[in-house]
Amino acid sequence: MSEKTVFEKSIPGRIGVALPEPDVPPTRVPCDLLRADNGLPELSQSDVSRHYLRLSQRNYGIDNGFYPLGSCTMKYNPRICETVATYPSFLRSHPLLALADVQGNLELMFGLQECLREIGGFDAVSLQPSAGAHGELSGLLMMRAYHDDRNEGTRTQILVPDSAHGTNPASVAMAGLSLTEIPTDRGGNIDLQALGAACGSDVAGLMLTNPNTLGLFEQQVEEVIRLVHDCGAVVYGDGANMNALTGIMRPGDLGIDIMHYNLHKTFASPHGGGGPGSGPIGASADLAPYLPGPLVSDAVGDDPASRYELSTPKRSIGRVSTFFGNFGMMVRAYAYILHHGPEGLRANAEHAVLNANYLRVQLQKAFQVPFDRTCMHEFVCEGDAKQAGVRAIDVCKRLLDFGFHPPTNYFPLIVREALMIEPTETESLQTLDAFIAAMLQIAQEAETAPELLSSAPHLTPVRRLDEVKAARKQNFGDLGR
Amino acid sequence: MKTIGFLINPIAGMGGRVGLKGTDGVADQAKRLGAEPLSEARAAEMLAELQTMLNKDDRPQSFRWVTCSGPMGARALWNAGFENVDIVFHPNVPPSEVDTRAATRAFMDAGADLVVFCGGDGTARDVCCETGTATPMLGIPAGVKMYSGVFGMTPLRTSSLVIGFLRGELDLIEAEILDVDEDRYREGAWVVRLYHKAKTPFEPTMTQAAKAMFDAQADAAVKEEIAQQLGEEMNLHSDRLYILGPGGTVQFVADKLGIEKTLLGIDVVCGGVLVARDVNEQDLLRLLDAQEDANLILSPIGVQGFVLGRGNLQISPDVVKKIGHKNIWVIATPAKLARTAELRFDTGDAMLDAHLAAKGFWPVAIGYHKRRMVKVSG
Repeated sequence: MSEKTVFEKSIPGRIGVALPEPDVPPTRVPCDLLRADNGLPELSQSDVSRHYLRLSQRNYGIDNGFYPLGSCTMKYNPRICETVATYPSFLRSHPLLALADVQGNLELMFGLQECLREIGGFDAVSLQPSAGAHGELSGLLMMRAYHDDRNEGTRTQILVPDSAHGTNPASVAMAGLSLTEIPTDRGGNIDLQALGAACGSDVAGLMLTNPNTLGLFEQQVEEVIRLVHDCGAVVYGDGANMNALTGIMRPGDLGIDIMHYNLHKTFASPHGGGGPGSGPIGASADLAPYLPGPLVSDAVGDDPASRYELSTPKRSIGRVSTFFGNFGMMVRAYAYILHHGPEGLRANAEHAVLNANYLRVQLQKAFQVPFDRTCMHEFVCEGDAKQAGVRAIDVCKRLLDFGFHPPTNYFPLIVREALMIEPTETESLQTLDAFIAAMLQIAQEAETAPELLSSAPHLTPVRRLDEVKAARKQNFGDLGR
Repeated sequence: MKTIGFLINPIAGMGGRVGLKGTDGVADQAKRLGAEPLSEARAAEMLAELQTMLNKDDRPQSFRWVTCSGPMGARALWNAGFENVDIVFHPNVPPSEVDTRAATRAFMDAGADLVVFCGGDGTARDVCCETGTATPMLGIPAGVKMYSGVFGMTPLRTSSLVIGFLRGELDLIEAEILDVDEDRYREGAWVVRLYHKAKTPFEPTMTQAAKAMFDAQADAAVKEEIAQQLGEEMNLHSDRLYILGPGGTVQFVADKLGIEKTLLGIDVVCGGVLVARDVNEQDLLRLLDAQEDANLILSPIGVQGFVLGRGNLQISPDVVKKIGHKNIWVIATPAKLARTAELRFDTGDAMLDAHLAAKGFWPVAIGYHKRRMVKVSG
């Protein structure tokens, strides 16, 4: 059953709130600011309340079902972290309070910086960036500053493997740099010959997603880093997939110079529909002077009112967000890290990898996995079930009838009809088995009753949308008129 | 309601089976050597699949066929169960390229929105002579040579392109119509020529929009991005020579920069102004003697991947050496690269070719400040 928009439901003259007569004289409004119709819907409170409640009941999230959206790490957000983040002392801290009055907040930020430094193997960490891609942009600006300081400002090329996250090219453009895409070899690794051919005096750095978007660990990662360093460039680590490595391997130890973390993916702070995220960045000793500031430092004094201070690295690229970044996300992530401890974090990564491999092996019975080797926290298969006429999008739509959110589809681009599946560590064996059963049944249907897939979904409030029309004939003319 | 022109070249592909490297002008010889017609069977394969897909379509599209009588079209359509068929052309017996062109003209006169043909590069050339870029064309692959960019990968996949076109889901891209000089080919020389530009429906990889990288971008938009970067480079280096190679991609880019470039020739720009048109090797060497600082802008021939040595022999080994390999800027759209596995250099100087291919990969500009490393054939 379709739900009309509030604009379509509007009834002239209906009101939600009866305002009292004004007790001040009216003010003359310039006539060019006056409108006969302000375009707002006219509804009662109950109209509005029921409308939005109905919409919310149709929503689907990690709290009401399995959400194997590859690359997005849709895992459970522990309620203890939410509880801590809503403590009034955190929630009501005004960013303009004197530092002496927010020493507790600064202690938390310092503690988080130290934890992330240890987890990533870096010399220093800045909590400034507000999202993963914001961390990428900050890291690229650091690279520019680093090369400028060495009178090598002509280094403008950023190498990005075609198995990298899709945000990487956008960040390169945002930073005013140029992109060179490096192909993947048959093993699902960066093609070393192509990388070697691209490395030169014009290269500023490499953006390395490891594990990559195929869910595979870069098997020659040390050689990759050596090639880039040998040409005088910097290696940026896209740490969005750190949930597969935390407690097992430290990117800084491998030689990665800068890396962002996604607190909302690895450390389970919620994905807030595009925000708020948090994307702190760590850096090696050579790059740390360029980190965005301020950082929190420990003065190690006895005075509890001035123990923690703010300091900005001497060659810093400056602030990349107002005040302190997304503090609420930091509280959640710090609570998560302390709650799990080192062994717990490692166990989470191991379970993420175990769950993904369990799904991979089970689903291989019906779906082709093009890069067939042990995966990390996710894997990519071809979603056309080997049946002519049935495509990955059909499999995804049919999954909705089984009550599952579909995997990421048609990404990465280097796999045809791609389904990118990431179960995360917080799903039980029973949930995984139910998903496997649904997928295998869909594969069977693709053989015996393909029309069930091509006409899916059948059980959702809204049936299959005309995506082509949505993309090509956009008309927002009546919204907010 | 859309109108689709449909024609089969009944002799297409026959020469290949009997080693004639093409069928242009040698159909009778092919028949004497025992060659059997095969194009109608390839067309039937596509039409049967199309009929199946149309029957399953939950959003049926209204369209009609305009075609030729007999084996050049109507017979295959009727055999596949199509009823919405109008015969608008009666070919000679036996038909020739004259009939292909006349039939295409008749389709266009009948209001064809798309011309679907079954044949190879020779047929594509004949069809394109009439359609130009005004009416899109789509080939069912059935010839000896299919280097042009207007063919479906297989007859079955061609049917998906027809469905996509009917639904209005596909972009129209510019493609190159290429052909091998068959007389030279039979003598052992492989001389590929670019003949025309055409429009054809293209199905990009379906991508999740929020995470898409480059490939979903429309072909023309990509070329505009390349043009923007080249324009900025030209402004920065107003004394530098920009030598523009042949082909539709480079011509499109030049058009965007306001440069009236020849399609098949080599043209030279300096300071944003065309300083020489359709130059030969000697012209180039003379220009380079006067101004050493130069960039060479080339686009590979789609599918085969030749960057040098096909269709641009004016850019001789001496010219390449004078320009310097670091100043060769290869440009292509992701759509073209998707059909082109490797780049090739065949300048006629084996040492130079080896030098150009030495690193195994070459950067190809695929947008504004975007390059992709593409494998070079050793």
